[in-house]
Amino acid sequence: MTVSPAPAEALLSEAQEPGRDRAPRGMSGARAHGLAAITAVYLLWSLVPVAVVVLFSFNAGRSRSTWQGFSLRWYTWDPDGSVINDESIRNALTHTVLLAVIATAITVPLGVLFALALDRWRGRLPAGANFLALITFVIPEIALAIGLLFMVTYLATPFGLGTTAQIIGLVTFQLAYPIVICRARLLTISAHYEEAARDLGATALGAVRRVILPMLFPAILVSAILVFADVLDNFVLVRYLSSDASTETTSMRIYQVARAAPTPALNAMATIILVVSTLVIVVGWLLYRRWSKRQGESTDLSSFAGNL
Amino acid sequence: MADRPRPPISRRRLLQASALGVPGAWVLSSCARAQPLGSPAPAASAGGGSASAAASLPPLTEIPIASPQNPVKWPINPGNEPITSGLEPEMNATLRVYNYPDYVYKRVLKDFQAEYADYNVKVELSTFNDLPEALTKIRSGSVPFDVGFLTYNYMGKLVYGDLIRPLNHDYIPNISDVWEEFQNPFYDQGWQYTVPYTIYTTGIGWRHDLISEDIGARANPYDVFWDTKYAGAIAVLDDDREVIAMTILRNGGTDVNSGDPAVLGQTRDSMLEMLSVSQPRVTITGYTDIPEGTMSLSQCWSGDMITGQYYLPEGVDPGLLRYWSPPTGQGVIGNDFLCVLKGGENPVMAHHFLNYMLKSEVAMKNLSFVGYQPPLRSLTPEAMVADGLLPANLAGAIVKPEWFQVGYPLLELPVAVEGEYQAIWQQFKSGG
Amino acid sequence: MPDRTSRFIWPILGLPGIVWIALFFLVPLYVVFCVTFGTVDPIFRSPVPAWNPLEWQFEQVVVVWDRLVGPNNFYLPPVLRTLLYVVVAVVACMIIAFPVAYFTARYAGRHRALILALLVAPFWISYMMRMLAWINLLQPDGLVNSIITLGGIIPLEVNWLSGNPFTVVMGLIYGYVPYMLLPLFAALDRISPSLIEAGRDLGASGFELFRRVILPMSVPGIVAGTLLIALPMMGDYFTSDMLSKSPNTSMIGNLINLSIATPGQSGQAGALLILVLLVLLAPMIWYTRSNAKAEVRS
Repeated sequence: MTVSPAPAEALLSEAQEPGRDRAPRGMSGARAHGLAAITAVYLLWSLVPVAVVVLFSFNAGRSRSTWQGFSLRWYTWDPDGSVINDESIRNALTHTVLLAVIATAITVPLGVLFALALDRWRGRLPAGANFLALITFVIPEIALAIGLLFMVTYLATPFGLGTTAQIIGLVTFQLAYPIVICRARLLTISAHYEEAARDLGATALGAVRRVILPMLFPAILVSAILVFADVLDNFVLVRYLSSDASTETTSMRIYQVARAAPTPALNAMATIILVVSTLVIVVGWLLYRRWSKRQGESTDLSSFAGNL
Repeated sequence: MADRPRPPISRRRLLQASALGVPGAWVLSSCARAQPLGSPAPAASAGGGSASAAASLPPLTEIPIASPQNPVKWPINPGNEPITSGLEPEMNATLRVYNYPDYVYKRVLKDFQAEYADYNVKVELSTFNDLPEALTKIRSGSVPFDVGFLTYNYMGKLVYGDLIRPLNHDYIPNISDVWEEFQNPFYDQGWQYTVPYTIYTTGIGWRHDLISEDIGARANPYDVFWDTKYAGAIAVLDDDREVIAMTILRNGGTDVNSGDPAVLGQTRDSMLEMLSVSQPRVTITGYTDIPEGTMSLSQCWSGDMITGQYYLPEGVDPGLLRYWSPPTGQGVIGNDFLCVLKGGENPVMAHHFLNYMLKSEVAMKNLSFVGYQPPLRSLTPEAMVADGLLPANLAGAIVKPEWFQVGYPLLELPVAVEGEYQAIWQQFKSGG
Repeated sequence: MPDRTSRFIWPILGLPGIVWIALFFLVPLYVVFCVTFGTVDPIFRSPVPAWNPLEWQFEQVVVVWDRLVGPNNFYLPPVLRTLLYVVVAVVACMIIAFPVAYFTARYAGRHRALILALLVAPFWISYMMRMLAWINLLQPDGLVNSIITLGGIIPLEVNWLSGNPFTVVMGLIYGYVPYMLLPLFAALDRISPSLIEAGRDLGASGFELFRRVILPMSVPGIVAGTLLIALPMMGDYFTSDMLSKSPNTSMIGNLINLSIATPGQSGQAGALLILVLLVLLAPMIWYTRSNAKAEVRS
């Protein structure tokens, strides 16, 4: 699934300046109210179904449509079906989080380095690579998935289908996030900072490490969050590149079981993944807020140079 | 909102950039798998090179097709001899089992782990949706599956693709409980490679409160899938062979393995007609869809409605489930088997697993969940009814031994015919 | 004080990314071509890729082409169906997203951050979970049927989940509309309030203001949103699988997904995929380049 990253970053910065009232003076209240009503209905339509999934994960009975009382049965004590007791659900959860952690840990450094290089390195090779990276951003996922599936099947790759192939596919598909986000940020960071740092005696590498990377922090953070959340959600790539049950993710589990014989344990599993991604975002936002507060104290050049 | 490629890319530049990859093509070709995984291995006769006609087949011009009229004793490829007797099961094994979803009771697998706790075995169940998918994955060699729950219409490909391991009978004493005819089945003479798992018929399942009609009383019960009355409420199996066979039977044919272009053309037209007349869903989940009422009626296997009782919503009477297959036995009939796959890492434990599944108590426990009967002497239909596994309304789901004499098994197809079947199926699944 | 390392440092930093993209994006795409233009094993009907472009054969392309435009063109219905679903879903997404994005950008006031957070929420909720939500709601005894029948009073049982095209399109809209909302919001947010007021001072009516100022200025957002949702929808097979499972709602993605798992049809899946990519190539390039332009402008 492709997400446009810029608005997400906008959201994070948006959170910094709440209460910005941009309604023009003298607009008709009726229109605003009408639009407000549409927005409210949309939000209900968008979120209530999900809330129902969460609600029924606490159902005491087997049904996913008839409420039979509150219980933690499908999380803990049901002997066969609960998240704790059903090994396939447990495994899907751990494997999904594992993929998200590893894929993020590879994608973000790879993308950040690439973005840094593109910022300075001119030529056909980097331009072509950049173009391809952007194409991975919009290509239908099934194309990349089938390509990698064929590659693993027909070329003597040192890895087979399974976790490694899944990670490779995910990194390739997500690589555009850090590249795009970091490059947008790099455009706003003046080259002067780096030159000044160099004038004060830093090597090129030192300038990158001490000046540019710290200033890229928000972009790195945002791309890490986006990649992590998107990997948790991925379905097409992880399914095509999976091998056996040990490489099944939560989205594959939902796809397989939702139309067969689901119990509320499936809802419980989906709820847990929702909690995981929410946690990651909240932590990311807190980090971001701390960073920008600290930046507010010392953003002038001399303090940077002093740190060198 | 995104990025500025600097300098902007011209079309020419793009071509040049992509041209960089092309010289690498020859590098790739040298990386190609020298022999695609699971590709045909030279066939040789079984140990000792007996004079058995079946065992001295030509290497690979055409795979022989096993049928009740033409039982086949498969060759054993050199280097693929059975494991020797008296080996200890592997320690700390992860026994990888490959099966349809919901087609084995998870408690049975847990019990097996407990019984072999000394060896610290872990059973890992992976699932496939249909056999072509399973065969593709097994052949890719990407997963070392130990045990397969498969069907005999891919038997030749399993043997000639070098995907399956011959059995050492010493490890499987429980075979003695298996029906006589399944100790020497037509698809695997001398049970060199397989032990039977379950037997089944293919028929029609429905919920009596949603479809009040007695489907079996129709002159041609299969016609129900071409009945506008049930449009949008019915399903056929997500299995090319089953739907094509059902359509052939409905049109009055009996050769469910036909390669006759006229028959296949007519069959295809009928299937497309079904799409427009009754808009069936295509799925193997009738065993939950019917009990839950998502579907009213579905083509299904005999075990589906028995296991369906387990999926009934609370408060729905189990007596409402119905199953019909031709009471004369002249319908699609078959069985699945268990086999040890060659790519597996734990062949000894796999043998123990096969033996375990044939144990009477285990089979009984498994039956209580999956709903399919194993062909074991100790598990007679009478005993099943007496034990309450089969309620009276589902008596039709019991497979009678004599039906194997008159029923129509789905056999392996010649390569060209198989291609025809799959083309018809693709057309059907793409919605006309 | 130029040091020697600085000349090489940028290529060295960029190299891992370039190698990665070459190995895991270009090579796989090339393998798709090799499989598609290769041959098929006569017994197992598994593909035998042709690695050398000079040995490429185009049988599979002919087969696929024939099924698209030949006398027995059974690929055509899913292709047309996909186009129809995508167009309907995109238009619906636009109709839904526009007022919501406009409200959030212009009138949300104090609640802006909260509303934005709620609008973004679906990004963090797995697509499959959101489809699961609708499967639950659309069951015969689910909430939707309870509501439209007023709890069983009106005898109007709709079977939503068995090949109902409406359900599939609804699923697509539900699944993809957030991806339309955000670019649209970003574009609308850029319109300066003073511009609107200037228009109003010049006597423009509400509708004229919309037609002459707001709509033209939101075009980049509309275009970006359309591409962002239309491109992945073209390869979508799981929405139809989850919400319908009927051939009557098969899309191109379903066709490709089915062929991949069937012996002897991998080449056809590859050929279909290449056709889809060819059709989408122009919009994909256009999207990446228009993004670049937008960046320059801002």
